[in-house]
Amino acid sequence: MVLPPVAVIAVFIGFPIVAAIAYTLGRAGGPNSVVASLGQRQFIVQHGVTLDAYRDILGNKTIHRDLWATVWVTVLATLVVVVVSWAIALYLRFSNTRLARIVSGLSVVPLFIPVVIASYAMLVFYSSDGFMRSVAYHLGWHSFPTLGYTLWCVFLAEVWVNIPFGVLMMSSGLNGVPDNLIEAARDSGAGMPRVVRSILLPMTIIPTVIVGTFTAIYVLGSFTVPYLTGPTAPNLLGPSMTNFFSAFNQPQQAEVLAIVVFVLALGIGAVYVWANVRTGKRSAVAP
Amino acid sequence: MNRKHLGAIIVLALAVVLASLAATSKAATKRQAKTDTIVLYASGDVNVQSLWQQYIIPGFEKKNKNIKVKFIFSEHGVQDTTTLARIGAAVKQRKWPGIDLVDAGLVTTLATDGLTQPVTKATAPNIKNVDQKLLTPVKGAAIPYRGSSVVLAYDSKNVPTPPKSLGALLAWIKAHPGKFTYNSPNSGGSGYSFAETVVDSFIPANVLRQMQTGYFPNLESNWKQGLDLLHSLNQYVYQGVYPNGNAAVLDLLGKGQIWVAPVWSDQSLTALKTGQLPPSVHLTQIANPSFTGGAAYLGVPKSARHKVDVYKFVDYVLSPAAQTQIINVMSGFPAIPLKLMPKAIQNKFADVSANSLRPTYAQKQQSDFKAQWQQNVP
Repeated sequence: MVLPPVAVIAVFIGFPIVAAIAYTLGRAGGPNSVVASLGQRQFIVQHGVTLDAYRDILGNKTIHRDLWATVWVTVLATLVVVVVSWAIALYLRFSNTRLARIVSGLSVVPLFIPVVIASYAMLVFYSSDGFMRSVAYHLGWHSFPTLGYTLWCVFLAEVWVNIPFGVLMMSSGLNGVPDNLIEAARDSGAGMPRVVRSILLPMTIIPTVIVGTFTAIYVLGSFTVPYLTGPTAPNLLGPSMTNFFSAFNQPQQAEVLAIVVFVLALGIGAVYVWANVRTGKRSAVAP
Repeated sequence: MNRKHLGAIIVLALAVVLASLAATSKAATKRQAKTDTIVLYASGDVNVQSLWQQYIIPGFEKKNKNIKVKFIFSEHGVQDTTTLARIGAAVKQRKWPGIDLVDAGLVTTLATDGLTQPVTKATAPNIKNVDQKLLTPVKGAAIPYRGSSVVLAYDSKNVPTPPKSLGALLAWIKAHPGKFTYNSPNSGGSGYSFAETVVDSFIPANVLRQMQTGYFPNLESNWKQGLDLLHSLNQYVYQGVYPNGNAAVLDLLGKGQIWVAPVWSDQSLTALKTGQLPPSVHLTQIANPSFTGGAAYLGVPKSARHKVDVYKFVDYVLSPAAQTQIINVMSGFPAIPLKLMPKAIQNKFADVSANSLRPTYAQKQQSDFKAQWQQNVP
C-alpha cells in the first residue's frame, strides 16, 4: 500500500532532483543532454564532478546582493507576520465583539485575492502618484517616500500575502488552550502579559513555529511579488533564478541558485522538525 | 433516495457519457479525413497575440475551410527557452515537436542551427516577393513576415524638440533627471535595444558585424565602456528603476511619469490608436547609431507535419491582404515590396522599409549581453 505513492514521489520528484544536482556538478549526460546542448556558459566534465558552476554563482557580486536582499526580506517579513498574526489571534481569542468578528473576517481576505493582483495593487498603492502619497500629501507630509519598486514594497506585499495563514494558524492554536487554565492563572492574580508568557506561549509553540517556518519558506521561494513590485537589482533570488534560466540562457547557474534556495529552506525546515520532535518527546514523558 | 437507485443512476450516467464520447470520436475521425490542424507557436507582447488570434488565423481559416490553426502563445517569450529545447530535441530525433510554425525570437537560433526548413523548399508563391537580403542573417532558413523597429517616444507637451542622435539623447537624459527610463533588457526588446545601441556606439563596425551573425564570447570585453556609461545613468533614470516589460514603460509614459523612452514602433502606434498613450506623444528615430530593429521571422521546424498546409498559411501571411492587416493592426512594416501594397499604405511608408533597419546581436550573444547588463548596470 505504501509503494505506489513512494514510487510516484521517486519518479516525479526524486529523479528530477538527482538529475538537476548532477547537472550543477557538471554532468551533462542522459536526462540533462537536451538542456546542456542549448545552455550557455556551462561547466561540464566527462568524469568525476566539478564545483565550477557553484564557484561561478557564489563568486558573482550581483548574486551576493540578491542573496542578502532575500535573507533580509525573509527574516523581516517572517518576524512581522508572526508578531502581527499573534496579536490579531490574541485579540480574537479574548474578544467576542462585532469589531472582533469584522477584524477576523478582514484578516483572511488576502487569502482570496490572487497574488498577481495583490502585487500590482501594492505597486499602484505605493507608487509616486499612488494612494499613500496622495493621502500623505493632503495631510501635509510632502516627502512621503515612494515605496513602489523597492524592497520595502516587496516586504509589505509579502506580509500582506502571508497574514491570513498566520492568523488562521494562530487562532486555532490559541483556541486550543483550555479556558480553565487561563481562568486559574487569572484567579491566582496573573495579568494578561503573564498569561501570555506562562500559559499561551508555551502551549502554542508548534503553531508559532509552523507560522514562522512556512512563511519563511514561502517568502524565500516567492517569485510573483518580487518580480512585480521589486527593484531591478538587488532583488530576491526568485526573479534572478528566472533571469538566469530564460533571459541569460544559463540553466546550470539557475539550477545552482535553486539548490542554494533549497539549502536555505532546508535549514528553516530543520527548525520545524526540531520543534515537533521536542514537543513529541515532552508529551511522551508527561502524559 | 436509496442506494440501489443511486447505483442505477450512476451506471446510466456513465453509459450516456461513454456513448456520447464514442459518437464524438467517430465524428472526429470522419472529419479528420478532410481537416488538418497545424500548430502555430508565437511569443511576444499582447499585440502579437491579437494579430494572430483575431485577424490572421480567422482570415485564413475562412478561406481554407479544411485547415485549422491551433495557436499557442507565450507572453513575453517566457517559454521560448523550453520551446527551443523541445524543438531541438524533436528535430534531432526526427519526431514531431508538437509545433509546425514558430513566430518568436528563437526562430533565428533554430534557423542558424539548421533546425528549420530552408526557404528554397517552401511551396508558397508569395515568398519570392520577400527581400532576399533579409534571408542572409538566418542562413535562408526562416521567412521574414513583418518588420518592426525600436523608436524614441517623447511627450511633445514637455519636450518640444526631441533629441536627434544618441549623443543628444544621453545629454537630454542627464539634463532631465527622472524623466527617462527603459525596461530591463531581459524583460523586453525596447529596453534591450536602447542598452545595445549605447554599447554599440563604442564598438568598431567589423566587430559589431561578427556579433550580429554569430556567438563570440571573447569579443564581449568590447561592451565594458558602454556598460559603464549605462551604469552612470542610474541616477538620472526614473526612480533608478528599470521596469519589467515593454508595456510597463508605455504605462509610465502614458501616465506622464516619464517624458522620453525607447519603445517598439508597432506597440506604441497601437497604444496611440487605443488611447493608452495620449496624442501628445510622438515617435521619432535617432541617429549615430539608430535603435535596432529588423524583421520578425517565421520558422518551420524540419520535422513539422502537414508542411503543404503550413506553407499555404505562410503564403496567406505574405499576401497583400494579410500584410495590410499587419500594418493596420500592429503598425508593423510590410515584409513584401511596397509596390504590391495598396496606395494608402505606400504613402505611409514613403521612406522606411523593414530591411533598412539596424540589425541586432545573434540570439546567444543577446543572452550574454542581458546577463552582463544585469550584473553591471543596476
